[in-house]
Amino acid sequence: MAKPNTVQHSNAVATAWQLTEQVPHGRELGMQVVSVDQGQVCMRLTPQSWMFSQEDTKEICTSVLYSLADSAGGLAVFAGALELMPIATLDLRMDYLRPAGGDQALLAVATCRHLTDEVAFIHCDILSEGNRELLATANATFMRNTQGQQFHAGGRERESA
Amino acid sequence: MSTIGDSAQHISGAGESGKECPDWQALLERIPYARHLGLEVQRGDAGVLVHLPCREALIGNFMLPALHGGVLGALIELTARVAAQSQDAETRCPRILDSHINYLRSAKARSTFARADIVRQGRRTSLVQVTCWQGDENKPIATGQVQLLLPTMAAQQEDRHGH
Repeated sequence: MAKPNTVQHSNAVATAWQLTEQVPHGRELGMQVVSVDQGQVCMRLTPQSWMFSQEDTKEICTSVLYSLADSAGGLAVFAGALELMPIATLDLRMDYLRPAGGDQALLAVATCRHLTDEVAFIHCDILSEGNRELLATANATFMRNTQGQQFHAGGRERESA
Repeated sequence: MSTIGDSAQHISGAGESGKECPDWQALLERIPYARHLGLEVQRGDAGVLVHLPCREALIGNFMLPALHGGVLGALIELTARVAAQSQDAETRCPRILDSHINYLRSAKARSTFARADIVRQGRRTSLVQVTCWQGDENKPIATGQVQLLLPTMAAQQEDRHGH
């Protein structure tokens, strides 16, 4: 009785990897999927010097943490639903608790707090890999099942934007 | 995908498209990540804009295709930071405390523009509202509010004693 787009949990990690690999911006930032559990994902990002917020302080730009939280959040929707469907970020709120030093990798742990047919509520913590210090927290709301017709028609019909 | 970037035609009264605003441009160029994204300052009739040229590496959904939500986050945060810094008499480098971004329409794979409005410039903090659009400024694709901390001597001391 499985729905057509539903995936087995055992395949979730492989599918999550694939999804991440297909996102050009995630690929550019070097985001990796560390783990996918029911409703929770962990992603990792290795800082590079072009991600810094200033030349002199080797501090990672907050916007890189933002991108990581958005990606991990989207993956957490998938991990909560275990169903492949197009989603869109409705809103995302970040609190930057501490500066993120460029000498340590970033970890994002995103949890799907609540799921309805239409909406997913996500919480994400960004930690530094070495000392597990909490660097930033995010709360995001995602719309599920967005623009299904465009998603399915994407291969055939490109928008002429 | 390499031809998706359009020009400055959407800037209001873009007769002098690409005319630079030296202060903002200099502040942006000090940010390695802003340079990486290719952010550039333009001056429209209604004030200073930040332009994010589109390229394939900024795509978050290649089926639509659409820009990554995090790319818009970066455009909004960095525009807010430069706006707050340019407003400061001592051009102190602000620290971003938090940002809250609402996504209003899907962001297509094309040029995106951002405008900053200072909600309040205080002695220690600055609250900046940023609006992003693509073709039509009256149809924003995202808006964000960014709270920034302007370093003071006292705050720097506090910083040394832990957060």
